Amino acid sequence: MKKQKIEDIFSSMEDFSSVPPPELWSQIEEKLDKPKKKKRVVLWWSAAACLLLGLLLPSILHFTASSENTNLNNGNLENNTNSVVIDKKTNNVHTGKDLNRNKNTDKAIDSLNENSPKNQFNSESQIQVEETSVAETNSENKTSKRDSKSDVVVPANTANQSVAYQNSGSSEEKSIVRSSKKSISGNNTRSSNKGISEERIAFGKQSKFNSTAKKQLSNSIFEEQLTPKNSKNIAFTNQGYATNNNPFTNSNASNSNNAVLGKTENKRTDKAVIIKDDLKITNGLSKTDSMQLAELQNLEKGILAPEKEKEEKEKKDKLLNKQEKWAVAVFAGVASSENTRNEKTLGNVNDSKQSNSYGVKTKYSINKKWAVGSGLKISELGQSVANVSYLSAKSNAFFNPGTLNADSNNSPVVSADPSSQGYLFISNSTKEALKNENVQTGKLDQNLRYVEMPLEVSYSVFNKNKASINLNTGGFVGKLISNNVALDGHSIGENINANDYVYGSTLSSTVQYRVYKKTNVFVEPAVNYYINPLNSQSFNQFQWGLNFGLNVNF
Amino acid sequence: MKNDREGQLKIYQLFSPVLYGICLKYMKNEDDAKDVFQEAFVIAFQKISQYKFEGSFEGWLKRIFINKLIETLNKKKKESFFLDVFDPDTDFIEEEELEAIPIEQEKLLEYIRDLPDQYRTVFNLYVFEKMKHREIAELLKISEGTSKSNLNRAKHILQKRILSIKNFKIA
Repeated sequence: MKKQKIEDIFSSMEDFSSVPPPELWSQIEEKLDKPKKKKRVVLWWSAAACLLLGLLLPSILHFTASSENTNLNNGNLENNTNSVVIDKKTNNVHTGKDLNRNKNTDKAIDSLNENSPKNQFNSESQIQVEETSVAETNSENKTSKRDSKSDVVVPANTANQSVAYQNSGSSEEKSIVRSSKKSISGNNTRSSNKGISEERIAFGKQSKFNSTAKKQLSNSIFEEQLTPKNSKNIAFTNQGYATNNNPFTNSNASNSNNAVLGKTENKRTDKAVIIKDDLKITNGLSKTDSMQLAELQNLEKGILAPEKEKEEKEKKDKLLNKQEKWAVAVFAGVASSENTRNEKTLGNVNDSKQSNSYGVKTKYSINKKWAVGSGLKISELGQSVANVSYLSAKSNAFFNPGTLNADSNNSPVVSADPSSQGYLFISNSTKEALKNENVQTGKLDQNLRYVEMPLEVSYSVFNKNKASINLNTGGFVGKLISNNVALDGHSIGENINANDYVYGSTLSSTVQYRVYKKTNVFVEPAVNYYINPLNSQSFNQFQWGLNFGLNVNF
Repeated sequence: MKNDREGQLKIYQLFSPVLYGICLKYMKNEDDAKDVFQEAFVIAFQKISQYKFEGSFEGWLKRIFINKLIETLNKKKKESFFLDVFDPDTDFIEEEELEAIPIEQEKLLEYIRDLPDQYRTVFNLYVFEKMKHREIAELLKISEGTSKSNLNRAKHILQKRILSIKNFKIA
């Protein structure tokens, strides 16, 4: 009696199959008909979270800054009794304004733009499954559960069994031929070869053993979809195929004998899951047939192997090139305009000003490393000057802004809002000279909001697994869309020195992480330099920013 | 192809017996096997456009099913799914050779399904999918030692079950 290891005893279970209950298909159909919603929801939530984060940060920063300013102003007002009440009020208004301003809404891009299903199958094609030849077979026919359940008529002792399938609507007989052979267990070359577990399924018309079976199943399920991998593929089938009038028959040749296998370790391949033919049709082959089959298959392998490798490489390269050329991103973040050159307005240092920015951008990958990008971004450049001295018509009935023209070089020229009163800004030195009781001090905020269009070049410095880091640099052009000058939180008009168009340069780094399929989240620290925000007055020209966003590749 | 119901049905008819057989081998009870079978088929049809002709279509389907089965088994067990302690004294059980007597597939399936989840999974991957311990360890996020000990324990249990059959003897 033969000795067996546990693995040998269970080897018959390797190709175990069982016909599923019929109701399962209808349940699958139901599930397929349901639209995919969950993933969309997740993406929308991610987009919303990014935007919220981007918009909340500047608000928090601004709120903190405002409360600090309130303390500062209160301190100043101790020496200026005339405007205590006004200042307190204005600060309150200011804070309220900021909160309102941050209630921006933005539209997120539908990031679920799935690739249109690529047609990967072509007509005239065949899937052919190749397997190494049969050497030793066990002559026992085991009756499997699958066999007992199936309706397939498998003629016993046919030279090479195949399960044929006839399309009920067609007069032509088609067969699904699966030649399955196990390799010689002692053949090390083959056992180390991937081919031991490779298979090629031939969906073809009836074809004959030892003939180059080029007739393939024209009306098979893959008829329109399967791409011919290699026209040199040969389908080896036997004349003795089985036919069945059922519209569809299951592959049921598992009554084939299992070859005596050598050490299982020899059969291990590098693939995680080894594809095994479910049809083990080995028992009917004559020695001559086996030899011929083996020879032909070896020959075919020899011819196909290098070509296959090349094709695979080319395919992979093409896929890489084709895939993910474009990316669309939506982002929002915080920005801060900085005074890098210690410039002053009316003798007071220009302070930084926080704002928010948001937008969309698109990127096109030229190759693996380089990409170009553009988009639209709403951004705000600003500055804040504390303790600015001014004369107001409200507190001085005889004041005529036109009569005093102090420090015009460094003073913001304001085109007054019709509703606001006239103000004259004076420098610290003039203030001392005037010694006028009506001279007040306040905080002067100037905001210039732009819609910008950047043009960037991007270089990938790191790309591994799901994470990537890119360095981006480029320039931008911006169109002024909002221009506001506010004194102690009250808008007093526009700065007429502001240029309608602004130019600048940008440098940023994108740290990106793939969260789902082709969707990434990213964080992007950036620095921008505005060349010409104002004509003659000093202004914060340097801006740093931190954007958070969602990016979809396609 | 994605929404070609007729084509999907044909694929289902062609591959469902093998794939359902896999589900039965990995899941302890039939209801769970049915659930995974349905879910995995839905995933396969939804992702069919991602099939790149690298390997056979059946192999591609099997990978989807096995991944889904492992995901489901992992979800079922909140605590550590796999035995992490490798004990060389008990885990290297000498495998005895048994006399060859045919056993029905139904019986063998029963033995496999009676194994604890962790042993069954490793046994299935090693014996039927021909995966190496390194690959199993990567897939299941366990150590190679754990994979080996789980396999040995699975074999030991199965050996006992088989020996309990009257005609079976140690050769």
